[in-house]
Amino acid sequence: MLEISELRKRFAGGPDAPDGKLALDGIGFAVRPGRMFGFVGANGAGKTTTMRIVMGVLQADSGSVSWQGRPLRHDDRRRFGYMPEERGLYQKMRVAEQIAYFGRLHGMSAAAARKATEDLMERLGVAERRNDPVQALSLGNQQRVQLAVALVHDPEVLVLDEPFSGLDPIAVDALATALQERCGSGVPVIFSSHQLELVERLCDSVGIVAAGRMVATGAVAELRSAAGDTLRVVVRDAAPGWPDGLPGAVTVSGDRHILRTTSGDDQEILRRALKAGRVEHFGVERPTLTEIFKEAVT
Amino acid sequence: MNGLILAARREVMTRIRTRAFVIGLIFTSVLVGAVSFAPKVLDRPDTYTLGTLGTQRLPLRAAAPDATFEWRTFPNEAAARQAVLDGDVDAVLAGGTTVLTNGEIDDRLGVLLQSADREAKLAAAGVSIPPLRMESIGADAHDQTARTGLAVVLVVVLFMMLIGQAGMVAMGVVEEKSSRIVEILLATLRPWQLFGGKIVGLGAVGLINLVTNLAVGLAASTASGVAGDFPPGMPGLVAGVLVWFVLGYAFYATLAGAMASLVSRQEEVNSVLTPLIMVIMVSYFLAFYATNAPTGTLATVMSYVPPFSSIVMPVRTAATEVPLWQVVLSMVAMAAAVLAALAFGAKVYQRAVLRTGARVKLRDVVRVR
Repeated sequence: MLEISELRKRFAGGPDAPDGKLALDGIGFAVRPGRMFGFVGANGAGKTTTMRIVMGVLQADSGSVSWQGRPLRHDDRRRFGYMPEERGLYQKMRVAEQIAYFGRLHGMSAAAARKATEDLMERLGVAERRNDPVQALSLGNQQRVQLAVALVHDPEVLVLDEPFSGLDPIAVDALATALQERCGSGVPVIFSSHQLELVERLCDSVGIVAAGRMVATGAVAELRSAAGDTLRVVVRDAAPGWPDGLPGAVTVSGDRHILRTTSGDDQEILRRALKAGRVEHFGVERPTLTEIFKEAVT
Repeated sequence: MNGLILAARREVMTRIRTRAFVIGLIFTSVLVGAVSFAPKVLDRPDTYTLGTLGTQRLPLRAAAPDATFEWRTFPNEAAARQAVLDGDVDAVLAGGTTVLTNGEIDDRLGVLLQSADREAKLAAAGVSIPPLRMESIGADAHDQTARTGLAVVLVVVLFMMLIGQAGMVAMGVVEEKSSRIVEILLATLRPWQLFGGKIVGLGAVGLINLVTNLAVGLAASTASGVAGDFPPGMPGLVAGVLVWFVLGYAFYATLAGAMASLVSRQEEVNSVLTPLIMVIMVSYFLAFYATNAPTGTLATVMSYVPPFSSIVMPVRTAATEVPLWQVVLSMVAMAAAVLAALAFGAKVYQRAVLRTGARVKLRDVVRVR
């Protein structure tokens, strides 16, 4: 299990901000093996800073990151796979050499790195470009090489910062499948994304971060049910004032009245609605992750 | 250590396969080869073409055995004057009393003509003067010319290699920083491994260059015969040059890489390296001065002061005799400077390389946090 607890980080300030910027204010969460953890939050909320601290690229002012019950060390991180927010590859290095080089850096033997590189290039569809310099590849193919660099050593943990940004829908599906495969083999996966539907579809649990704090965390289903069900009733051609005395809020759209409420007796509401006009819709809705997110960060 | 070697190997492998490296190596090899043949081509004996009316000639050969003289006979003075004006002959001996030239006569030829004329006329009068015997009591003059030439070549080669390789380290650091690949690299490598690997790798590339150039130079000068003029102790000199290159490179490359880690764009590298390039330029001028006055106070003092010593001392050893203890002392001082540069450079690099965006101020990085 990967546990992040009470991370604090303040960036040094300039002349205009002598106190600096508090990037992380005690953020903490845990990712279990074989789980996919979605990390969401507005820009500047602290997602990238957290991931960089997990990967040892930044030092936290306080707090800890532990892996399998003990503090995470440099040698552990060598077995992690990392895709930073800012993509980076050696532009002039050949595709196969580059992937294999990162395999070696992660501690693989030359032969093992070569074999893993071949397999990955085949699976990600860049095998025929193996001897081209990276700069000759399309952006989409460069992304695949970037992913290969993160996966080549069969990592124990995957930390991916915005892995889906800039991908076309087909590439998104391919990447999602690759991540689910890794996850299925017991690897904890953390990724950040602004595509909340994608997070909702892929992740077992999510963390919503705002201003350097974790404002909500848990399984997606739990978060949704915890946020409470909303009863939504749509009545057509009703006289104004029919819902007086009922809980919730009513919005009017043309000749339709839409009532939303999280409390009250649903049967009573239905009877009143039927009496008032034509009931087009009557149902319980769970908030989407997007709604929970908006609720949590405002 | 393993990570450092992997990073160094990548530098070597990617560098030596580039067209720039191959062309550069061929170019410098050809240049060094040409320089090795140059003394034999340029240093030809003097040749003079002289005219005479009738059969009168002067015994110039006896006075200047290393020069060659070609005599032409003209039927009359008008033809001889025309030949002088056309530049066909350097001078014409007209009668026993006049030499016709176009403008001022070549210094050496003038002296030769005067002294041969005097000698001939004195001999006719029955006076014979034994020629002065020349005796050299200093070092072989030919040896000294070769040494100075060698020192000049060394200055240029060391200067170009230091500035070139240090610049390459700087560009490499910025390449990794600007492409942000440094973030993935530092998740697996420690900063000193990545930085050290780059310095070691590009230093190895520099050594490949230097050793190739030295080998070509030695082979070419042996073939041209110039090597015969080399001072004794060439193997020691060559070994010294390699050690000095390693020391000088380690110093400048570390600082160049550290300075480059402050900026995030290739265009900013030049401005951040300016102070360092100034120091290399000063070393270069000092060393050039030392080729002319290798025993002077300035050259002697500067051959101990790091980092100037890394060019001045090898040049001094090439240009004149330097006791071994002096060389060793200077190397120890330079090695200490390299260690200081490594400590400083590694600290700057580690703190600055992940701070992308605007140029990081050196002051902010050095300040203890």
